[in-house]
Amino acid sequence: MPSAEELAWLIPVLPLFGAVLTGLGLISFNRTINRLRKPVALLLISCVGAAAALSYSILFNQLNGAPPVEHLFVWASAGNFVLPMGYVVDPLGAVMLALVTTIALLVLVYSHGYMAHDKGYVRFFTYLALFSSSMLGLIISPNLLEIYVFWELVGMCSYLLVGFWYDRDGAAHAAQKAFVVNRVGDFGLLLGILGLFWATGSFDFQGIADGLQNGLAAGTVAPWAALLLCLLVFMGPMAKSAQFPLHVWLPDAMEGPTPISALIHAATMVAAGVFLVARLDPLYAQFPIVQTVIAVVGTITCFLGASIALTQMDLKKGLAYSTVSQLGYMMLAMGCGAPVAGIFHLVTHAFFKAMLFLGSGSVIHAMEEVVGHEPVLAQDMRLMGGLRKKMPVTSITFFIGCIAISGIPPLAGFWSKDEILGQAFNSYPILWVVGFLTAGMTAFYMFRLYFLTFEGEFRGNDTAMQAQLLTAAGKDPSEHHAHGGSVHESAWPMAAPLAVLAVPSVLIGLLGTPWNSRFAGLLNPEEALEMAEQFSWGEFLPLAGASVAISVAGISLAVLAYALRRIDLGQLVAGRFPAVNAFLANKWYLDVLNEKLFVRGSRKLAREVLEVDAKVVDGVVNLTGLLTLGSGEGLKYLETGRAQFYALIVFAGVIGLVVLFGVIGGPIA
Amino acid sequence: MFEFAVAGLSDPVQATVPWLSLSILVPIVGALLVPLVPDKGEGKQVRWYALIVTLITFLITVAAYLTGYDPSLSGLQLSERVSWLPDLGLTWAVGADGLSMPLILLTSFITSLACLAAWPVSFKPRLFYFLLLAMDGGQIAVFAVQDMLLFFLAWELELIPVYLLLAIWGGKKRQYAATKFILYTAGSSLFILLAALAMGFFGGGTPSFEYTALAAKDFGTGFQLLCYAGLLIAFGVKLPIVPLHTWLPDAHGEATAPVHMLLAGILLKMGGYALLRFNCELLPAAHSQFAPLLIVLGVVNIIYAALTSFAQRNLKRKIAYSSISHMGFVLIGVGSFSALGTSGAMLQMISHGLIGASLFFLVGATYDRTHTLQLDEMGGIGQKMRIMFALWTVCALASLALPGMSGFVSELMVFAGFATDEAYTLPFRVVICGLAAVGVILTPIYLLSMLREIFFGKEKEELVSHTNLVDAEPREVYIIGCLLVPIIGIGLYPKLMTDSYRSSIEALVNRNLGAMEQVISPTAPLIRGQAPVPAVIQAPAVGAS
Repeated sequence: MPSAEELAWLIPVLPLFGAVLTGLGLISFNRTINRLRKPVALLLISCVGAAAALSYSILFNQLNGAPPVEHLFVWASAGNFVLPMGYVVDPLGAVMLALVTTIALLVLVYSHGYMAHDKGYVRFFTYLALFSSSMLGLIISPNLLEIYVFWELVGMCSYLLVGFWYDRDGAAHAAQKAFVVNRVGDFGLLLGILGLFWATGSFDFQGIADGLQNGLAAGTVAPWAALLLCLLVFMGPMAKSAQFPLHVWLPDAMEGPTPISALIHAATMVAAGVFLVARLDPLYAQFPIVQTVIAVVGTITCFLGASIALTQMDLKKGLAYSTVSQLGYMMLAMGCGAPVAGIFHLVTHAFFKAMLFLGSGSVIHAMEEVVGHEPVLAQDMRLMGGLRKKMPVTSITFFIGCIAISGIPPLAGFWSKDEILGQAFNSYPILWVVGFLTAGMTAFYMFRLYFLTFEGEFRGNDTAMQAQLLTAAGKDPSEHHAHGGSVHESAWPMAAPLAVLAVPSVLIGLLGTPWNSRFAGLLNPEEALEMAEQFSWGEFLPLAGASVAISVAGISLAVLAYALRRIDLGQLVAGRFPAVNAFLANKWYLDVLNEKLFVRGSRKLAREVLEVDAKVVDGVVNLTGLLTLGSGEGLKYLETGRAQFYALIVFAGVIGLVVLFGVIGGPIA
Repeated sequence: MFEFAVAGLSDPVQATVPWLSLSILVPIVGALLVPLVPDKGEGKQVRWYALIVTLITFLITVAAYLTGYDPSLSGLQLSERVSWLPDLGLTWAVGADGLSMPLILLTSFITSLACLAAWPVSFKPRLFYFLLLAMDGGQIAVFAVQDMLLFFLAWELELIPVYLLLAIWGGKKRQYAATKFILYTAGSSLFILLAALAMGFFGGGTPSFEYTALAAKDFGTGFQLLCYAGLLIAFGVKLPIVPLHTWLPDAHGEATAPVHMLLAGILLKMGGYALLRFNCELLPAAHSQFAPLLIVLGVVNIIYAALTSFAQRNLKRKIAYSSISHMGFVLIGVGSFSALGTSGAMLQMISHGLIGASLFFLVGATYDRTHTLQLDEMGGIGQKMRIMFALWTVCALASLALPGMSGFVSELMVFAGFATDEAYTLPFRVVICGLAAVGVILTPIYLLSMLREIFFGKEKEELVSHTNLVDAEPREVYIIGCLLVPIIGIGLYPKLMTDSYRSSIEALVNRNLGAMEQVISPTAPLIRGQAPVPAVIQAPAVGAS
């Protein structure tokens, strides 16, 4: 019986098998398969479930000190070049496998409830399985090239899923934007991979790091070239992990169904960038400048996301900007040379953010009963409020998520975020200040979301507000019909995953306490020992106390403003500083810039090139033709449809020439 | 130094069964027998007949590959040589090596699918299928013949069916498009004839047009440059290379779906194949001078055509320009002096043959339903045509080089091959790779915008009320399925395809590296029969020039 590590290739293959089977079924027997909802869901859930079981046994083995396993085969070769592919299982991979399969499984179960009324139910499950397969493949990739392959595949799944409701214009644009912005990052990643291959002759993580070091030492690679290559590769993670300025696609991607937002755009795919940077740690550790760039980009992203989240009225968009901000924290950790801390935050964040998104899905699902299937209404917090009494499970889990992300001990977010802030304090004190302030903003906007959604009075039946929102979104209020039902708690397929996710959201942080970090012990035993040795309460308490204090301050402000309504922030801040408010509400004007500069710019350029093609290049052709009376335009007037005749002339001419030259050539031969 | 080249080419493995002659003659004889097929005039019987003939041809080529072709050999195989018209110095010489065998298979494969795609054709069906079958034989002949005069004959023979197929079954501007096509290609192919005659008669030895004989000749560099330039124009029109491309959007814009599949799937590959066969293989000294130009032209193709495709509002012309853009990678691969890059060019030809054919087939199938090609008049049709939407999405993703499909592998091989090609200076490589990679961003922009405008969003009421948007029928799903099997198969395990031509490409690249060394240091002594030059040589860069 082979060990679980030997069977690791099955982990991505199992969901792929399920996806291919149902996908082929959908193409060949569309109606029949669309009716077989339960069998399809069962098949795909068991495929992902089997992958999860395998992942957990691998994690268990790795915890018990099993050695990493790597298998390679030649995928393509030409001349002296060999492109290997295969799979690798190590502690980092094992952690990610367990994480992704767990959340994917829960999201599949949740989707059974969330998509119950959707006619694309089977297609949705197929895409989900396809995504799980690609994401799992990415995790076990042993080299940069294979990472790139799966990197693109998860991007494709994201495209398909964001554009899932393809009759919505917003979804169509968001899907395309997500793919194209990611391709901008992949442009850098691809060039970086090629350059590193040129410089080191390797695609392997360690091989690249060693090769580049040797190349620099031997002088065959210029230092500027090495720096440039590292930064180019970093463009990939910047796009995928929504780092400034390539974050613009992620909030728009919320057009997709909410289970997707939880799985892909919060917990797993967007973390792939952070994961890749962690994989490339041997490379980046050689270049402090690159690390500083990563840290600065992370910090900007972290602050930008939190600041925009302050003013969002759309529940999902608020969570999306929160994700952007948290990904910034992770990137900051990577820049501080602390990949373990970054991955730890990735794990804790995956659990509580998935729970928050699934919770928001539960809210939206309930809201649709009242305001109808219109995202502009169902996701807007101005129409929510007072949902706690009607949706106890959702509200309690959402509340737990809010505490966890705000960094209140002993919940998960506290330990991981504090670890990052501690690292930043030691490496880049200025960045720590920004990260510290952002922690306060995080607590504030999360509790703002919570209070607006779950506390106070229910505002869903306010038709005047509905009409106002629809008009603001450019839709005709008279065409919309509210359902006028009532809000109620979601059924068990949706409530159960929330409850399950609440457990790690509360507890998992305890695995990473700085004095005895089991998490670091698995990923990097030496670092764990070092951490435990250097740990002192005297250093830990002031920093941790400060972060808790600012979080509490943020929460208190939210309580005062949105629960007790003692202060009116709208008047206090927005009224006095309209410029700041407009700046935040317009998302730092980055979307506008993107639209004006890149979208319209590229269209204009393309039109001009086409103009040149039609008028100049083809114009010369037609002109020459007219002048010699041999062109299509010229011939068109001379003859009327006897095409065959001309073909015959050409043919006869050719034969004639051949014979002529043959006769001339014959005697010589 | 050409002794080595000759050693690679002059030991052809004789065929036991004349597979290649059969694969050329079966469709041509089949075409001549079309008038005898009983048919009531609507094409319901002829189409079965034509399909069977193309399938037999396909099976013959497969049999040739399986029984007579050893992919580990770099030289000519399945070789047949019959003195045809000895007085004219003309020999019926056919054979296949790594450059031609995959393309012969591609031709017979795509043609049989095009036959199936032509199912609804009811206008003059006999003539249509006659031309289709003649084209099949002609195209296989282009790849299989081993004599430059025969090649020229096959190349010209091939044009006539295309011309007629365009002129009779084309769209509204078919006369203009067909005439433009024939003038462009026939005009440019004059250069092939001139080059063939020049190469046949000059360079010493007895006049002969066989590739092996031509390869054995020692042409002067000036002569090579002249021939190379002429051939580059001829093949550049076919490939096409910007700015010789303007016939293509017109021809593609007017052709019906099956003809379209053949144009994109096979015709463009004739240009790439001929570049490798003549320019690279027979004129190595000139190639080492011209290669940087090929690479620059390749980049221009990629970016220029991607931008024009983005701005196009006509679906067919949009895809036509995207073909031009993809052929840019072929040019870069051909221009690189690395086995990886040239292999990539070869794979890109095969891959684009499959993907281009599938996209053009889908364009035709969509047009049959919407009766418009203007993107402004489409929109939201994904709700009625879900399977068609799925097929379109898969093929568009294949075209934008999604990993797991063949386009990704071929583009990656070209990129990696060129990036590590020590024959060019580092700055040149950096600039070229950077610019070519812009294509990586531009391709999804125009392809995904196209999908969005056709399928996404609200249904256009005008379109829905005037047309009958039925979903894809099994025949259409089957055709795309057949094309997707190799696309995904190559994408998952490219060695399946690359191994079939690997040794030929390696031999070719090694010869060219040797030739480059010769050009750069003509006085350097070269020992006869020397082992192949190592893949990475430290030659002064030619790219900076």
